[in-house]
Amino acid sequence: MLNKLLFKNQDKKQLTIAIIGAFMGITFLITSIHYIIKVNEFGKGADILGPNTLIVQKKVTNASSLNLTKTDFSIHELEKMRKEPFIVEVQPVLSNNFSVSFETSDPLVPYFRSDVFIQTVDKKFLDVKTSDWDWKPGDKYVPMIMPREFLVMLNTFMSSSGIPQISDDIAKQVKFKFKLKNDKGEEKVDVRIIGFTNEVSSLLVPASFMKYGNDKYSDGTDNKITQIMISGKESEFGLVEDLLNKKGLESKNAQMVVGRLKSVVGTLFIVVLGISIIAVLASGLVLIQYMQLLMSRNAYEVRTLLRIGYNPKDIIRSFFVYFVKIFGLVAGLGFIVFIVFKFFLDSMFDSGGLYIDKGMTIISIVSLLLAYAVFTVASYNTAKKGIFRQF
Amino acid sequence: MDIILDRIMPVPLASIQHGSDSIWGNFVEMKAGKHILLNASSGKGKSTFTMTTFGLRNDYDGKITYDGKDIKEFSPDDWTKIRQRQIAVIFQDLQLFPTLTVAENLFIKNKLTDTYSEQELLQMLQQLEIDNKWGQKCGLLSMGQQQRLAIIRSLCQPFEWLIMDEPFSHLDIENTNRCLKMIDQRCRELNAGFVLTTLGDSHGYQYDQELKL
Repeated sequence: MLNKLLFKNQDKKQLTIAIIGAFMGITFLITSIHYIIKVNEFGKGADILGPNTLIVQKKVTNASSLNLTKTDFSIHELEKMRKEPFIVEVQPVLSNNFSVSFETSDPLVPYFRSDVFIQTVDKKFLDVKTSDWDWKPGDKYVPMIMPREFLVMLNTFMSSSGIPQISDDIAKQVKFKFKLKNDKGEEKVDVRIIGFTNEVSSLLVPASFMKYGNDKYSDGTDNKITQIMISGKESEFGLVEDLLNKKGLESKNAQMVVGRLKSVVGTLFIVVLGISIIAVLASGLVLIQYMQLLMSRNAYEVRTLLRIGYNPKDIIRSFFVYFVKIFGLVAGLGFIVFIVFKFFLDSMFDSGGLYIDKGMTIISIVSLLLAYAVFTVASYNTAKKGIFRQF
Repeated sequence: MDIILDRIMPVPLASIQHGSDSIWGNFVEMKAGKHILLNASSGKGKSTFTMTTFGLRNDYDGKITYDGKDIKEFSPDDWTKIRQRQIAVIFQDLQLFPTLTVAENLFIKNKLTDTYSEQELLQMLQQLEIDNKWGQKCGLLSMGQQQRLAIIRSLCQPFEWLIMDEPFSHLDIENTNRCLKMIDQRCRELNAGFVLTTLGDSHGYQYDQELKL
């Protein structure tokens, strides 16, 4: 009866507009937060190198072929790049200037040996525990990151030898060795694969091992920095790309494409998120304003109820529960529409070659609950203020 | 419950000259169970008395106490308890809900304390000859019918005091007498006191104390 008295005679048009606004805001809010997270997660775990990481070198031109321009980096150039606000990290990729070969050392795997080119990667760029990427003389093994194309080559060899091919996980169990040598001597050290990368074509080792090999087995040539590793900020890939073009640097095309795609899609969703937050706040305010209007229209009823003995808390509860139910319905509908959106958007991303994870994101659900909590608190305070004004 | 008006002077009435026997500015004690007549002409503050005594206005100097407690110190919960169980009021403007039916106007009050059954409420309407309006919207009733409804609604609770602000202004003598009979019976049942404010007519009712404005 209380609800009949307080909510029967109201202007449904304004309420409907507020509900539609809140529904749209909530739907876009969850959708945009979900896809910002998913786009940023894209590529994580598939590669041991961290996200937004590029390995770049200077473009080889006719002039550089004739030794008229340099293709190596100076320390000054690296320092200058580090100062750019959109750059997170810049580190040189060091190469070996000693002879090194890579061979299997496991009775379960046929003998295989190849001269290899090894390079270093700083631990800051890796998606592994930093303690796993350390080496010092006397350690049981050298941690190594293998290019996935090298594993493909190994598997091709296995297949042609009539031996079962090996997976990533099995490869990490197989024993390998590096053989370091020069005219004066040679040394074998055990190697363990800790991860794979699609971004680099050489075997990656810790800098301490490279220094050890270069110090002990160097052939005497200078160790120039011809490649560097750059990590850019999320959603600012366009600026990194501009810098590379300006400085005549190049990277693997695939890395560039993914970085550009992530940057564009991420920026797009941040814009949508901003609009969604404004929409949710605006529609929440419209709903709150509607509540105030409803209380104002029912001022006589509220005042009379208080005079005949109704507790203000009961009347506050009536308004509060009514609007919390409306917003709950809006939030529920928004969530359902988000699930439908998600189904279509995931399919669109798939068909566009962006294979993002299909799972839900906790933060998007938390954001929905947060929006609901904010509205709940705001509607309770508005109801309390409005009712006690009539007391 | 004893009600004391200790030198009460409502701000809007402060500029008016009041008589030496007026309740305004003097000490007035209303002992529990007393039947009081508040007699005054228009504009002297009968409704102001009802509103201030019932805690709906606090723009006054002086102090009103219920059993020695200053009513300005009561919390909303205290007032809820008082309005549900200790003081019932018939407002001059009736304060009914025009969009609800006669039955709903009674139920909405009665359900707070579950004082009467539906049958009893119907009988009370019968007694005042408006039982045929049971399902009719209150806003469609005449003023006299609404006044009778407001009187019945005020009785749908336990009370120690019944404050009536010109409750029979739209009623003829017969209906006034029916209402007085019902009020008297209910007050005797509850051993409650009442304050009847009138424009000079005591409606033939016996009272213990007369107050002036």
